[in-house]
Amino acid sequence: MDVSFINHFIESATNVFDTMLGVQVTRKSLSLKDSPAPTHEVSAIIGLSGRVSGSVVVSFSTNVALKGAGEMLLTEFDDVNAEVVDAVGELTNMIAGGAKAGMDGLQLSLGLPNVVCGRDHRIFFPGNVKPVSVGFDTPWGEMAIDVGFNEVLEGSLEKVAAQETVGV
Amino acid sequence: MKILLVDDSGTMRAIQKRCLFKLGVTEHDVVEADNGQTGLDEFEKDTFDIVLTDWNMPVMDGLTMLKEIRTRNADIPIIMITTESERARVVAAIEAGVSDYLVKPYTADALNAKLEKWVPTSA
Repeated sequence: MDVSFINHFIESATNVFDTMLGVQVTRKSLSLKDSPAPTHEVSAIIGLSGRVSGSVVVSFSTNVALKGAGEMLLTEFDDVNAEVVDAVGELTNMIAGGAKAGMDGLQLSLGLPNVVCGRDHRIFFPGNVKPVSVGFDTPWGEMAIDVGFNEVLEGSLEKVAAQETVGV
Repeated sequence: MKILLVDDSGTMRAIQKRCLFKLGVTEHDVVEADNGQTGLDEFEKDTFDIVLTDWNMPVMDGLTMLKEIRTRNADIPIIMITTESERARVVAAIEAGVSDYLVKPYTADALNAKLEKWVPTSA
C-alpha cells in the first residue's frame, strides 16, 4: 500500500472539521497499527472497494463524538446515543468522500458507515494489512484515522502480465 | 411550498431543515425520507415543489431515485447534496437531470445560498 494516500484523508479530515464544525484539528504522527484494538471509544468504519479492498476507520474519543454531534445539531449530548452515532457516521462519510476525490486512480467506491462503540471492540483489516494510523488533536480531545487496504487481484494480474511481457 | 428531503442521515436532514426554516419553510412543508425508495414512494403520494437528495443511501441511491423521478416529472427542481465530487459523478448526475449540486462538507453560507436560489423566501 502506498502510504502517501493517507495525506488525502488528513486533508479531508481537516477540511470537514473546519467546514462543518468550525474547529481546527492538529495532525500528530503517523504509525503502522499492530493491534486490532480501537484507538478511541467510538469508531466509524467505511469499507473501500474498487481497485483496492479495505477499510477506513475514524476513531473518536467520546468527548469529540459528543461535541461534534452537538455542534452539528446545535444541542448538547451527555451520552453516545443514536443521534451521536448518526452524526459521527456522517462526519466519517464526509472525510472518506473528500479523500476519495483525491484518489481517482483507485476507482474507489465507499460503503455506508457503520459505528461501533466501547473499548472492547476489535477491528480487523483484510489479509495481513497493517493500517496506517494518524492521530489528531481537536479542541475537544483526540481522534484518529486508520486506513488499510490491499490492491485487488485484477491489479496483481496486470502486474504479472506486464512482467511476463518484458520477460521478467 | 412542499419539499421532499431525502438523506439517510438524520443529522444532515436536521441541518438542511434548519436552513429551510430560516427561509420561511415550516415543518409541515417538509417530508423526510431516509433512502431513495422511500423518497420515491413519498414523491408518488404527494405533489412537491422541490426535491433535495443525498446520493449514497441504502436500498435505493439518490441517482437512481433522480432517474425514476425524471420519468414522472421532467420539471421539478432536484438538488443533489452529496460527498460525491469527482467529475464523472457530477456528469452522471447532470445527464440524469439534476438541477443543481452541492458537495458535502459545505458551509452554512453555501447551503443557504443554494437553497435561496431554489426556495422562494416567501415559502
